[in-house]
Amino acid sequence: MSNNCYHCGLLIESIGLFNASVNGIEQEFCCFGCVTVCQTIYDAGLQSFYNKAPEGRGLAPSHDVNEKFILYDSDELQLDYVEKHGDERKINLLIEGIHCAACVWLIERSVAKLSGILSAEVNLTTKRLLLHWNNEKVSLSLILRTLTQVGYLAVPFDADTAEEELAHRHLSLLYRMGMSGFAMMNLMWISIALYAGADQGGFRNWFQWVGLIIATPTLFYAGYPFLKNAVSGLRRGYLTMDLPIAIGTISTYIYSAYITIMNRIIGDVYFDTVVNLLFVILVGRYFESISRKRALSATSRLLELQPKLATVIVHGENEVMPVRSVIIGNKVLVKPGEKIPVDGIIVKGQGAVDESILTGESVPVIKVVDDRVVAGSINGEGAFIIIVERILKDTALARIVTLMEDAQSSKARIQSVADRIVPWFVLITLLLAMLTFVYWNHYSFEIALLSSTSVLIITCPCAFGLATPMSVAVASGVGASQGILVRQGSALETLSQATHVFFDKTGTLTYGKLRIVKIEAFGNFTVDVILIFAASVEQYSEHSVALALYQAAINKQLSLLPLSGFISSPGEGVKAMVDDKQVLIGTQAWLLKYEILASSELKYQVDNLEQKGISCVFIAIEGVLSGLLGLVDDLRPEVKAIITILREWNIDITVLSGDRKSVVTAVTANLGNINRLAEVSPKDKSNIIRQLQLKGEIVVMVGDGINDAPALIQADVGIALAYGTDVSIESADIVLSYNNLQQIAQARRLSDKTLYIIKQNIVLSVTYNVIMVPLAMMALVSPIVAAFTMPLSSLLVIGNSARIGRLFKR
Amino acid sequence: MEVIYGLLPGVLLLGIVGIGIFFWAVRSGQYDDMDGAANRILMDDELIVDVKPKE
Repeated sequence: MSNNCYHCGLLIESIGLFNASVNGIEQEFCCFGCVTVCQTIYDAGLQSFYNKAPEGRGLAPSHDVNEKFILYDSDELQLDYVEKHGDERKINLLIEGIHCAACVWLIERSVAKLSGILSAEVNLTTKRLLLHWNNEKVSLSLILRTLTQVGYLAVPFDADTAEEELAHRHLSLLYRMGMSGFAMMNLMWISIALYAGADQGGFRNWFQWVGLIIATPTLFYAGYPFLKNAVSGLRRGYLTMDLPIAIGTISTYIYSAYITIMNRIIGDVYFDTVVNLLFVILVGRYFESISRKRALSATSRLLELQPKLATVIVHGENEVMPVRSVIIGNKVLVKPGEKIPVDGIIVKGQGAVDESILTGESVPVIKVVDDRVVAGSINGEGAFIIIVERILKDTALARIVTLMEDAQSSKARIQSVADRIVPWFVLITLLLAMLTFVYWNHYSFEIALLSSTSVLIITCPCAFGLATPMSVAVASGVGASQGILVRQGSALETLSQATHVFFDKTGTLTYGKLRIVKIEAFGNFTVDVILIFAASVEQYSEHSVALALYQAAINKQLSLLPLSGFISSPGEGVKAMVDDKQVLIGTQAWLLKYEILASSELKYQVDNLEQKGISCVFIAIEGVLSGLLGLVDDLRPEVKAIITILREWNIDITVLSGDRKSVVTAVTANLGNINRLAEVSPKDKSNIIRQLQLKGEIVVMVGDGINDAPALIQADVGIALAYGTDVSIESADIVLSYNNLQQIAQARRLSDKTLYIIKQNIVLSVTYNVIMVPLAMMALVSPIVAAFTMPLSSLLVIGNSARIGRLFKR
Repeated sequence: MEVIYGLLPGVLLLGIVGIGIFFWAVRSGQYDDMDGAANRILMDDELIVDVKPKE
């Protein structure tokens, strides 16, 4: 199709609007951003990027730049991110928008063209850029700007300690795995020599000693985590999965060492069993660690990419600055929907603050003047100004991040069941092993030792314990690579059973960017005055109506008036004092509460407009209806496709909107047979969902706004769009990072697959134990065979889980 | 066959050297990005005239 953007490959909505000549050939673009990026790339002589990037490349549309890069040049800010050696500095940057190796190429080349860059290395796995530059010759802000010009948003990244800890553990696992792999390979040929007849000759004891020499460091270095976990588990009175592994390897090792050191003629050594077992378990743990690392880095990216800036009031003007530059005693403005950046006391205004992150209480707390607010909590509605009491490192923010990570790694339902079963599993294993030992001890000590060791090794709680977390971890990783960030693992299990999907209209089905198409003034007011009042009231709000008004006022170069007493009722309207006059902006129904009625003539006009898909908002000044604002919001192009897919899966679809019924009908007119619920308040949204849940339906909610947050939490699976408000992202289980609704279908496929694999895994591990344990108890399985089959079952589960990764390939 | 008295320690020594190299490779970050390096080699680097030399 020729109607795709030359740069990003997305479908062009307004054809012909953004055509530009590239290298003498007329090309089509989807937006001005893409044109600029493309021209920059050509100007820099890096046009071969377009040959390197894969077909249908899906490069995210370039970002609108409104970050003040110059701020990042201050030494004070760099303190926390930058490693300094005089003028030579090093920084880790998170890069938004890396999709493929061509992006890596483009980023490295475009940055390397600046003078003063010592090295620039992109890590495609973690999507980070390690930058090493000379601060005398080039400033960080210039580098960031260059990156933005070629279409990538870069954010300084503060490698947090939790992630470093994880990386450290991951590395030590890699060392141990390498070490045991080496030991296994060397012991293998010693074993082969022994089996081949060396155990009869004069070299028998020599071979055994070599085995002992290899196995000893392996057991105590590579096996150290198992031994440590087993012991610390025992101390806390908890039977861990590592206990049977520890007992099995240690007992086998001691027996073999005894044979070797005493130079016994009878009996064999099983050093290879010990080492093989450790190696294969370590391989499993290593794969698991890779998946976990991927999942975690995806979610921590999500956190890192959230704003790090605070709006500080300096000499009566709003100035956006990095949180790190805020000084104690500064005044900071907090808008609705924003995360509060610092600890402080409210001096002006009020708001409903969600402190669930600290207290676990999900009902927002109303905060008024003199109340304390805490960094990391979310201001749901209302704007206020706080005096800063404590900044970044002194606040609870560091703790909050860990809390959030905990919440994200919170375990899926089936998974926690497995965790509860494991101690019993281990206990039964130990009992069975003891029973086996006691029984066979009547016949021979050696058979008793070997068969009980076999039982210990062969029962594999690992496979069982891995069944769910492994699948969820792999699925999260796969999802993240597709732009589906899974915040709540259990959502993946629930999504595939969904029977009903609710969509928010504004911002979800539509772009959520309203355009003002009509302003009408009544009485003595002029159109400009109405716009000034309306924009002044909404200047601190993040609602899409507010943004449209604000934009319209800026376009007309109107200056705004100060306001006070701002209160918003999400989905209904806002109220504030401007220029000592009470101003109300909101829906017709909401204004009725203030006993403001529209004339029947006006109502007729509004109905007409709404049938055309134009929403109407009224403005009342001092209790008198004084203006009418008409706004339109365009439907996303992929909506129709996703609704068709969902209907094919027999999933009911409902559009939930706070908007007027006629507007909802007009906007969703060509979506066919779906349910439409209009004029729904945020509270009712979650009530409607709850009622359906009581009927036994599994409900998915897709939303983006503050007013969807309760519904997102109430629903079995909440799906938010990455560009939505912070509140909605915090409330959702799954975040679609490309803001494309088609991803819902992908997420659902991923969920189907995950659930299927989990069930398979459980069946696999149970079957394995039911067959192998009796065999081991009958002394029919030697420890070597046990050691081969036991890791085999774990690997089977791991390998089976890894199949999820193939879902989106092909 | 007495040769194995010298051979086995010798081979083990070689193995230990191998472990040493492996540890060094991990430590120097060669396992940090498993996807990037594999693709990077396929990116042809056509010479661009205006690349500024490093000072």
